[in-house]
Amino acid sequence: MRVFVKLIGPYIYQGGFSEKDMDFDAPVSAETLVAGLNLNADQPKIVLRNGHGIKLQDMIGDGDRVVIAPIYSGG
Amino acid sequence: MKGWIGQILRIDLSSKSHRIETFDERFATQWVGGRGFALKILWDELKPGTDPLGPDNKLIVALGPISGVAAPNTGKTVVAARSPLTGGYGDGNLGTYVTSHLRKAGYDVAIFEGACDRPSYVYIENDRVQYLPADEVWGKGTYDTLEWLYKRHGKGVGILTIGQAGENKCLFSIIRSLEGRAGGRPGIGAVMGSKKLKAIVVKGTKDIPLAAMDEFKKIGATDLKKVGALDKKTGWSRQSTTGVLAWCNEVAALPVRNMRKTRHPEAWRIDGQRVDEARVATYGCPNCTMRCGITVLDKEGHESELDYENVGMLGSNLEIFELAQMASLNWMCDEYGMDTISAGAVLGFYADAIDHGAIAGDFKFGDAERAKELLRMTALREGVGDLLADGTRIMAQKIGKGSEAYAMQCKGLEISAYNCKFIPGMALAFATSPIGAHHKEAWVITYEINQTPRDSYGREKAQKVVDLQRIRGGLFEFIVSCRFPWIELGWDLNNYTVYFNKATGLNWTLDDFWKVSDRIYALMKAFWAREYPDWDRSTDYPPKIWFDPANADTDGPIAGKILEMEKYEKLLDEYYDIRGYDSRGIPTKKTMRELGLEKEAAELEKFTRIE
Repeated sequence: MRVFVKLIGPYIYQGGFSEKDMDFDAPVSAETLVAGLNLNADQPKIVLRNGHGIKLQDMIGDGDRVVIAPIYSGG
Repeated sequence: MKGWIGQILRIDLSSKSHRIETFDERFATQWVGGRGFALKILWDELKPGTDPLGPDNKLIVALGPISGVAAPNTGKTVVAARSPLTGGYGDGNLGTYVTSHLRKAGYDVAIFEGACDRPSYVYIENDRVQYLPADEVWGKGTYDTLEWLYKRHGKGVGILTIGQAGENKCLFSIIRSLEGRAGGRPGIGAVMGSKKLKAIVVKGTKDIPLAAMDEFKKIGATDLKKVGALDKKTGWSRQSTTGVLAWCNEVAALPVRNMRKTRHPEAWRIDGQRVDEARVATYGCPNCTMRCGITVLDKEGHESELDYENVGMLGSNLEIFELAQMASLNWMCDEYGMDTISAGAVLGFYADAIDHGAIAGDFKFGDAERAKELLRMTALREGVGDLLADGTRIMAQKIGKGSEAYAMQCKGLEISAYNCKFIPGMALAFATSPIGAHHKEAWVITYEINQTPRDSYGREKAQKVVDLQRIRGGLFEFIVSCRFPWIELGWDLNNYTVYFNKATGLNWTLDDFWKVSDRIYALMKAFWAREYPDWDRSTDYPPKIWFDPANADTDGPIAGKILEMEKYEKLLDEYYDIRGYDSRGIPTKKTMRELGLEKEAAELEKFTRIE
């Protein structure tokens, strides 16, 4: 399955990309996806799936748009 | 009394005279500083109905007990007055060397009353106050004025100045300092301009009295380093606040086309990554180790310092996605001394009103060159700029034809760069912000999207707004410190009790801070109700367009969704209940008594009913 992954803010520089398609053999949890991205593990993350906030245990499926961002607090 | 100097410098611009007054510990501990001091002084000293642009209005410059002392991030100053834009209490804060210099000159507060008989600036050096002519820079922008003053007084002084917008009483003009620092969104620059006061220059050389001087200095210096290290570790200042633009675009919260839309496929062209790539310099406030002022070159080659609000309101909200052009609009706002949020909202509203046939005009979304011309005309009040300079609320009243529904403001202050057509809690935060719609009071979007169902209107959202107002609009505004270490890096709030207690010798907890916050919020509401005795809950509503099903997104994550009025009313009731306000949004007698505001309640009762 193919997932579009977009990183936001400082995660772009940690992960080494801003957005790309990623291929997986089967549906994965958000946690598994994030763990494979070389992001600072101790930094809190917000994960969006198709524009909606999800929990780390939620599953990602084929065609999903996944966005990973730090916790923004509105400047 | 330690921490506070205990002195107020009162300057009468009409008679070119000044006197030094003192305040006692009760005043200090009830109001602490900054917004608290400014509000209490304006409440006590302004007669209701005072013309905000007349000599009887007062410009307050106010600091707190940790202001100007080396600790995270204490370089801020509060500027306040009765707002000409909203008619209520108005204030803002900005990073400036005035903070440390005014405290070192021996004052926690400076009050400017009356008006100069010709363009002037005031130079304060310790006990000495000079009234000097400013004819040479009257009519000039803030960058030229700052340079002119630096040449006269040296680079090390603290300066607050206005541009042409303030001189011409553009109602959303601000006060400027340093490279890109600006504050006083509700037209505090216009108040300064109405007094023909071009600038305030301060130099202080005394010590700031602290209860535990050596300990504070040690902790402050250490913590500044720790905050800097946290920033490096997280990488926050790589994009600073501009990072949130891409996120807003993903969650359908971006202001696009006068907030008609929430997302745009071209938004990436002005996002945090692109801003960082275009960076030519980075600036920050005094006493800051997480400098957020990313500076890029604008279309004309000026250095333009950006934050998210600038990019959101002057970029996506106007559908201007060329970074250099958007930066030009931002530079012009800084140069003329106009608030970038309101400027973006005003231009967006104007284009929208033209689009909808409410007014004739030639400005279209995306037209950067015409936007520049309109900003110039606004600052100078030339042609249609005279209409634009009054802000969206008055514009809509003049234009009519139903345009009030899409004038994106609350209480007269334009909404910051977050489109809340389907974010109920944040809509509540904007609508109940006590100076008009401002993100500095509370920001709950991440909470709403990630920790609650986005479409819920439950009490927990009202509670979250109140909690954040206590911290952001309360603590950080009265202690006068930048909130960024806490909100962006997670710097523990308890650190601020340590700074406060080391400075004052008191033994306060966070609960003591929250009580001061609630007292300030109640008195701000009372200020409004005294000015407008027929005050009711409708002043705590967001713009009608956010409730209009015809304005719902047609695709994306919130397609077909919109705020619901009946549910919003219940959410507002929850907010009032938590705050101890009546159904009109006015603090009850019981609430005011619990907050030590008996005298103020008696005063308010002369003007309106209190339950």
